[in-house]
Amino acid sequence: MKLPLKEGLFHQPESGQDKPYLIGSRCSVCGYTSFPKKEVCLKCLRDDTMEEARFGPYATLDSFAVMQVAPPGFFPPYIQGYVKLNDGPKVFTLITGCEPKEDALQLGEAMELVIDKIREDENGHEIIGWKFKPVTGRGRP
Amino acid sequence: MREAFIIGVGMHKFGKFLDKGLRELTKVAVWEAIHDAAIDPKLIEAAYFGNAQAGLTIGQEAIRGQVMLRHAGFEGIPIVNVEGACASSAIALREAMITVGAGLYDVVLAVGAEKMYLNDTAKSIAAMSTNADVELMGGMGFQFTASYAMTLRKYMQAYGWTQELFAKVASKSKYNGSLNPYAQYQKAMSIGEILSSRVVSWPLTLYMCSTMADGAAAAIVCSKKIARRYTTQLISIAASSLRSGEVTGEDDGQKRAAQEAYTMAGLGPEDIEVAEVHDAMAPGELFRIEKLGFCKAEDISHRVDEGYFSLTGRLPVNTSGGLTSRGHPIGATGLGQIAELVWQMRGNAGARQVRGRSSHHPRIALAQNSGGYVEGSPAALTVTILKT
Repeated sequence: MKLPLKEGLFHQPESGQDKPYLIGSRCSVCGYTSFPKKEVCLKCLRDDTMEEARFGPYATLDSFAVMQVAPPGFFPPYIQGYVKLNDGPKVFTLITGCEPKEDALQLGEAMELVIDKIREDENGHEIIGWKFKPVTGRGRP
Repeated sequence: MREAFIIGVGMHKFGKFLDKGLRELTKVAVWEAIHDAAIDPKLIEAAYFGNAQAGLTIGQEAIRGQVMLRHAGFEGIPIVNVEGACASSAIALREAMITVGAGLYDVVLAVGAEKMYLNDTAKSIAAMSTNADVELMGGMGFQFTASYAMTLRKYMQAYGWTQELFAKVASKSKYNGSLNPYAQYQKAMSIGEILSSRVVSWPLTLYMCSTMADGAAAAIVCSKKIARRYTTQLISIAASSLRSGEVTGEDDGQKRAAQEAYTMAGLGPEDIEVAEVHDAMAPGELFRIEKLGFCKAEDISHRVDEGYFSLTGRLPVNTSGGLTSRGHPIGATGLGQIAELVWQMRGNAGARQVRGRSSHHPRIALAQNSGGYVEGSPAALTVTILKT
């Protein structure tokens, strides 16, 4: 069985044309963006300005760490990272689509959102969440 | 606000103590502080108890302080439980300072205690994972090691910091820890040994990282009138700042926490003579040094090479060994830092004693302690400045 990490965080494409996106918020006054959704703008400190926004699929790699140890449900080696969404905030993410090696990624390179299995829970269910993968041919040396 | 002073500190050695519970650890630290102050414990009017994980480690979610301090002999006095992940007991100290400062009480106890070794590693790890927003970060498998590794990688790229530099600073702190009888790991280690240990998350190797620990630390905080009665070596809490992390600005909150502490103390980074900083992974010391304004990021490699932050350097950092060597019993770490600084300021630090700039012992000391993680920034950020 597949379960989302939490309802309302992302859109999983149902066909090839359909694109994935993350569901967050944008302030209609100052443009501050947040993922996940926020009801209050941290900059304006107002509770009537945040509107639902879709982010993705493109981002740049802020930093990453190849983990050789893992909490239950994850299997090392795997990559954790932060990406800055082109149209949204910085987001913690798992990274896929490349070898879990130091030289597989470069800071600042272009990344693309994928909705994928992130781990298995204690009952063997697949937990679905967001990951980012390097965009082939974009920003790579 | 009245000035608040520390007249006694105590610690239960940090480490693995399978035969001791949280209350036994607490009792040792509290009574060591009482004996250190040589004060009648009946004069203690209130207590702040810092702890982060007891709810999940030993199941004592509520009234932690009341339970643990009853074992240490305290009844009747108000006991306030303080939780801020790894910064819990620095916050407890701050609350004690505020209470004395407000004039409500003259003698207040601040305690930090943590029990992490349970013979059930999965349980301990599950408890520690709650130091981040569990709904998202926990579900995504966030690890604090990754947070340090990612931050260090950015500094490496921007300022040419190297893995060898990280091993140098870890080796420096390991040496300091080898001289600290309260430290969990009292073994000096060469740069080579540190570099050749297993990679946990590059650039971090095993011996650059802290492990679990049990432990406790305590301080007796009091008014000037009381302090004068018990000691001639007055150590005041010149500043204690507490900020929550930020995500909307350039700074994650650390620089602002430091600036608030400097302003409160009327001092600057150049005045600090000894510092304890939060290095759950030893190289983290370097970006704390930068954020505290001790040294520019681009000058740090050179400073480390010349021994600037070593015991004999101009600004010794983590003389206790830091979190990686002294150990990191989460809720006890903040007051563990304070105990070390008080010992240094009094000249009681034994083989790791450092010299002051203007007098025999350091007169101005700083502790930086942060805890938890919320959406890209630390949850709690504290900076404490002590002054004689």
